[in-house]
Amino acid sequence: MTLPSLTLVAQAVLSGVFVGALYGLLGLGLSLSWGLLRQINLSHFALAFLGAYLTYQLASVGGIDPLLTLLVIAPCFFAIGAAIYWLLARFAVTPLNSLLVTFGLTVIVESLIQWLWTADFRKLESHYGNVTWRAGSLYLPLPELLTLGIAVALCTAAWAVLRYSDLGKALRAAAEDAPIAAAFGVNERALAMLLSGACAALAAAAGLGLALSHTLTPSQIYAWIGVVFAAVMIGGLGSALGPLVAGIVIGVSEAVTMALTAPSWAPLVSFSLLIIVLLVRPGKIAA
Amino acid sequence: MGMSRRAIVALLIGAFANAVPPAAAAPSGPPVRIGSTLALTGPLAATAMLHKLVGEIYVEQLNQRNGLLGRPVEWVLKDDQSKPDLARTLYEQLITVDKVDLLLGPYATGNILSAMGVAQRYDKVLIHHTFGIPNLAKYDKQFPTWSLGPDPATTFPTTLLNALAASPKPPKTIAVVTSKFPSVQFMSMGAREIAKKRGLNEVLFLEWEFGNRDFGPIASRVKDANPDFLWVGAIGLEGNQLLEALKKIDYAPQEHFYMYPAPGPMTKAPEAKNALAATIFEEHPPFTNNPKAAEFVKLYNERAAKAGLPDTSVETQAAASYTAWQLLEAAVTATNSLDDKAIAQWIKTNRVDTIQGKLRFDGPSNYGDDLMRVKQVQNGRWVVVWPPEVAAPGAKLLVQ
Amino acid sequence: MKRVVGALLAGAVALAAIPYLHVAAFYESFLYLVFLWVVLATSWNILSGYSGYVSFGHGAFFGVGVYTTAALAAKFDWPFLATLPVAALNAALLGVALGAIVFRVKQVRAELFALLTLAVTFIVATIILNTPIDGGPGLYLSAVPVPKLGPSAASSFFFLGLVAAAFAILVAYGIYVSKLGSGLFAIHDDEDAAEVLGVPTYRYKLIALAISCALAGVAGGIQALFVSYVTVAETFSITVPLTVVLMSVLGGTRHWAGPALGAAIITTLTYASTAGDYVLAGKASVGLILIVFVLFRPEGLLGGRARRHPPVAPARSQIEVSARAAAATAAWNAATSGSRIAPGDSSGSTLLAVRSLSKAFRGVQALDGVDLAVRRGEILGLLGPNGSGKSTFINVVSGHYRADGGSITFDGQSIAHLDAHRIARTGIARTYQIPRPFAHRSVLENAVLPAMFGAAALDRRSAKREALRWLEFTGLADRAEALPAALNLHQRKFLELARALASRPRLLLLDEVLSGLTSSEIDSAVQLIWRIREQGTTIVLVEHVMRVVVALADRIVVLDQGRVIAEGRPGEVMAHPAVIVAYLGSKGDAAG
Repeated sequence: MTLPSLTLVAQAVLSGVFVGALYGLLGLGLSLSWGLLRQINLSHFALAFLGAYLTYQLASVGGIDPLLTLLVIAPCFFAIGAAIYWLLARFAVTPLNSLLVTFGLTVIVESLIQWLWTADFRKLESHYGNVTWRAGSLYLPLPELLTLGIAVALCTAAWAVLRYSDLGKALRAAAEDAPIAAAFGVNERALAMLLSGACAALAAAAGLGLALSHTLTPSQIYAWIGVVFAAVMIGGLGSALGPLVAGIVIGVSEAVTMALTAPSWAPLVSFSLLIIVLLVRPGKIAA
Repeated sequence: MGMSRRAIVALLIGAFANAVPPAAAAPSGPPVRIGSTLALTGPLAATAMLHKLVGEIYVEQLNQRNGLLGRPVEWVLKDDQSKPDLARTLYEQLITVDKVDLLLGPYATGNILSAMGVAQRYDKVLIHHTFGIPNLAKYDKQFPTWSLGPDPATTFPTTLLNALAASPKPPKTIAVVTSKFPSVQFMSMGAREIAKKRGLNEVLFLEWEFGNRDFGPIASRVKDANPDFLWVGAIGLEGNQLLEALKKIDYAPQEHFYMYPAPGPMTKAPEAKNALAATIFEEHPPFTNNPKAAEFVKLYNERAAKAGLPDTSVETQAAASYTAWQLLEAAVTATNSLDDKAIAQWIKTNRVDTIQGKLRFDGPSNYGDDLMRVKQVQNGRWVVVWPPEVAAPGAKLLVQ
Repeated sequence: MKRVVGALLAGAVALAAIPYLHVAAFYESFLYLVFLWVVLATSWNILSGYSGYVSFGHGAFFGVGVYTTAALAAKFDWPFLATLPVAALNAALLGVALGAIVFRVKQVRAELFALLTLAVTFIVATIILNTPIDGGPGLYLSAVPVPKLGPSAASSFFFLGLVAAAFAILVAYGIYVSKLGSGLFAIHDDEDAAEVLGVPTYRYKLIALAISCALAGVAGGIQALFVSYVTVAETFSITVPLTVVLMSVLGGTRHWAGPALGAAIITTLTYASTAGDYVLAGKASVGLILIVFVLFRPEGLLGGRARRHPPVAPARSQIEVSARAAAATAAWNAATSGSRIAPGDSSGSTLLAVRSLSKAFRGVQALDGVDLAVRRGEILGLLGPNGSGKSTFINVVSGHYRADGGSITFDGQSIAHLDAHRIARTGIARTYQIPRPFAHRSVLENAVLPAMFGAAALDRRSAKREALRWLEFTGLADRAEALPAALNLHQRKFLELARALASRPRLLLLDEVLSGLTSSEIDSAVQLIWRIREQGTTIVLVEHVMRVVVALADRIVVLDQGRVIAEGRPGEVMAHPAVIVAYLGSKGDAAG
């Protein structure tokens, strides 16, 4: 058996980066709401898929450019996110209970999706899908590049906001110790609703990424939960860049495994690697 | 002396009355209840939808004719949510609580196996339409309408390789990449065997876990290996995912085959051009020469469009499903009973007319003839290309 | 307790009659599925609900059980029942192997443990998929004979499920009322405090994990035969790990029967929505029902006790406080008339000897070669400016932190490298500067725990008596049933004291017990400390309030930047120039 060429490995790494970017994009909203709002929002996945389906609908049937659909979908989702926060806050739902409540929401959204679009497969065929850029002998397909770009942009923006802006500092303060932050004039409720709305808008962005590269079917909502949870937990709750970095590490380690040996071993390699890293350095992977 | 005029008129009226079919006598009496489950929700729902549609069409047609045994037919359908343990329990419910008269199988191998166990325990006939691993079907009253033949892992790859050998560019090298989904994996193993026996050089063999998201590296390895013929043990969307990944690295396989692809997406994707797959029925002659088949195709197209399905054509899934109902009706009518023993006995010893042709069920595991054909995506449609006697008129296996 | 066990067994016996009542087999199978999920949810809860270590990996242990039974029965023709103990064992071994490593890493809490258990699921699934255990095609068990335990096959599964579920619930209940359970719940509230009070946290977590996994393994084994065709994709899907969490949370994770109730409800709801028409509406309504349940019963349907106790007590007047303290002293004196914790020994022999103790945190040398000795029966004041290492000293001696170097000898025994709970057993107790009571346990239970787990190691009944005694001693006896949240700061500080004393320590480390108290509260605290010393307990008193230290302490040690800079009688030390400089810079007075 010949050793795989460098090009093959490099292309595999790229492939892993692309899929990891989507993990990161999906994980961003989840991580922020889990870390800063103490809500484990399982419905984030359902919302992402709803966003994906809406993107599909507007783009395929409405003829709008998929990227532009985000301008419509994200604001609507912002409202949904704020509403979810309001519900969870009104009842002072604990983190573990929020898992249950948002699971209920997930089931409802899944049923809604299946009712509107049937369980059958839906694929967004956009002009982006036909474009692939070249970098030497490597291929960079445009939909995946777009997703990567969106992921990096949003994660970096979120990181910058959290770190440098007053808003971000207020959010982090409120997350650490709400009563004290309130004493300093931080309006925790308003901030939290803002953040929750933003997370839902981020779900819409993740939905765009899903729609660009994947075929949609309602039950696929659950297929992403495991690996994105892993990326979020490794990247550190409340971290904006963490899930992206962790997602890419998972994606790349699996892709390289698939390039070098039997692909069905891929999850073993990525998750063993992560366990080892976690035990050796229980701190976060991303700063 | 001739007949009186009144007698002649009476005779004529009588003759006339007999010549015109009587207005469909509405079936009457207590309904005959057929029970089954389908994956109406969950990962298998996309394909199970087709079976629901077919069942509804058939039951409607049945009740327009004369029902079963003159009685109306009621289909008691439950949602097994794509889970085998639910399927098993629901079949028990159908038998012991709903007390249905007859059973039909659920969707896909795993759930059918669960249902089979229950049917066996209650000695009921189980006619099913989507079972992929014949040697696991060990119950003697189960009857498959997906005509794989008893040893598909050997017979089908042979058929396929025959088709390729007869094409303009017979392949010398083969790459086998497959999902580890049970019903697909075992076919892929068979393909490797047959390919080896026929002297093809296997340049790549890969397996991925069912649920794999990233086909990039696999695509890269396929491109590197550059086989004459690519066998993809794919189920559902995996074939499309691989093709997309191949397209992204600018590679189009010379000849490519997909085991159990979701039919619609394959015809719609431009990169799936000339993809090969297996089938027992397609929407063109000679299959549609059978008037019942033609009627069913038309009705199905309409209903599927109305239900908002992206793909409205009849192929293996819908055809196998329709055949299952046909088999049930034929057996019940022929034995004039709802008795499972009699029905089973009848099926084993008779040939049944269906849209797939005349089927028999007397082989190993009650399988009959191998009716698996090779079809290809040509101009956005599936056309059967092999064997020549059932190929679409004028259709030939195209090579890139 | 006997009543509950009796009721459970009676219930199980009553249920056992069902197969003989000629009900349709479907109901037996349906009930089997309820029992299966009862086992899965209850077993999950034993670790995750009781101790708070939420696991997302229950699917891995379940799957190991499934495949153990499937492989042994289908490939090696083992009789089915014989495979079940092996299934339990394999699952437990996997769990213990995981826990042995993971629980040792101190920073592994909460999300990290959840992540690791999730990762293990992926790993186990991949291994089984890629090795001859399964390899892909799945394992087929229809040739495996179902043991004849009842009139039909469905009945056999019913009985298997019933026995497993009854057993699981009994185990969960047994743990709930046992010392193990108290320890686990303490770990849930505050693991570090529990460890320091003497709860062997590592061992307890491993035991809970092992039991949890073993039960899941048995459930898996039975389910393998029920579905009779097992595949990796189906077995290791996200369903099991997610559903057990939902069921337990719905029913109440802090109650032994919560998960069972949740399992029954969710399984029933699942079947209620299987009718062929309106499946989507049915499914959506299940989601809605779950949401409503959780919003309106956040502690789960059987969740924790209702918080019926009055809110934080209003600040009491000085007179009231002193009167209470005096009354308590009188009552206590009358009750115990002079019995002591340890023989009064003012011989001055060394109880605790510390040599060259060092501890650094990320480059900050908190303790830098500290030498000090604590004499039996004395009150040693430990002073120093902020950041001098006083709290670190207590944390290291009590075992909260591991020393980097040096030795600690307690009554001749070297304790520097012992786990904190062992140190507690030797007779050392501490209080926390910011009180860390177990928030979900009553005041009494807070004090019972150290009595059970500390040096005294009493059984529960005696521990209760001992705890009450110390609650009286600290004037908290009338708040025994309250939850700590209902106490004010003063009372919580005294609860810290009561807790520390309940373990009958020979050495008591008090970490700024007076901070935050009012002047009169300080006076009553001082009274208390004197009385504690009269018991025979040696005390190390870390304090900022100068006048108290000077008044109470027999000797004083002053730390600055991790080093001892002065030691001796209060008067000498306070006049020591280095001490003055350390506290105040170049000038200022040392008045409190």
